[in-house]
Amino acid sequence: MKKAIKLILRFLLSPWRWFRKKRDGVLPSGKRHEVPNDILLGLVRDMIREGHTATIWVKGFSMRPFLEHMRDKVILAQPERPLQEGDAVLAEIGPGHYVLHRIIKIEGEKITLMGDGNLGSTETCRMKHVAGIVTHYIRPKRTIPATDERLIRRIKRWRRLLPCRRFLLLVYKSTI
Amino acid sequence: MKIKEGFELRTLCDEHIIVGCGRKNIDFSKVVNLNESAALMWNAVVGKEFTVADMAAALTAEYDVDEKTALADAQRIVAEWVEIGIAE
Repeated sequence: MKKAIKLILRFLLSPWRWFRKKRDGVLPSGKRHEVPNDILLGLVRDMIREGHTATIWVKGFSMRPFLEHMRDKVILAQPERPLQEGDAVLAEIGPGHYVLHRIIKIEGEKITLMGDGNLGSTETCRMKHVAGIVTHYIRPKRTIPATDERLIRRIKRWRRLLPCRRFLLLVYKSTI
Repeated sequence: MKIKEGFELRTLCDEHIIVGCGRKNIDFSKVVNLNESAALMWNAVVGKEFTVADMAAALTAEYDVDEKTALADAQRIVAEWVEIGIAE
């Protein structure tokens, strides 16, 4: 039954899928050597601390629909303002364990993170464990600054739609 | 021949990664990963003018390898470095 629904959605949304691919581009092809994340992201954290900005590939599906695995990149930098809810950050939630997720709650020094594509699981860390804040979302064909008002509106709307996120993600998956 | 300025070799947990530190934005989506012998050659020639023979000499000094093989390896590595734009 679920498979049938997926197939129907995929068929119905094929024009939207075509539009998305045209607008955002598709996964770049070609062989890549991947440096393990705990090593690379530790280096990314150090370079951001030194005052650089860092461009990294997005790995994983937990930031759907805003970031797609190995299709999109993000630019990370040191935050120039206090962190706030809605910011996507790279944070070390355990020794050598990094996540690129969005802040959903700040209580003093304690930060609660949740992936846009997650249905309920959250992580917590301290303010000092935030390695960098996402300043730009890089798709194969366009770059969107994190300050883009339309993007911010979409992020807020996505957060409000948490109760029906499972269904929305099912629809989204039919468009990629 | 020399390695272009602004590139640094960082070694983390046995991974040798070349990072373009000279720029404000570091593109980790294009990091270059070196194996141990390539990292050895890098360290032998970084910061100075060098030839393929210098790199091969670093290899023969560290590993039990004949000069001809070392030269061929050094030549291949240099060609790769030039192609990706970290040596000139």
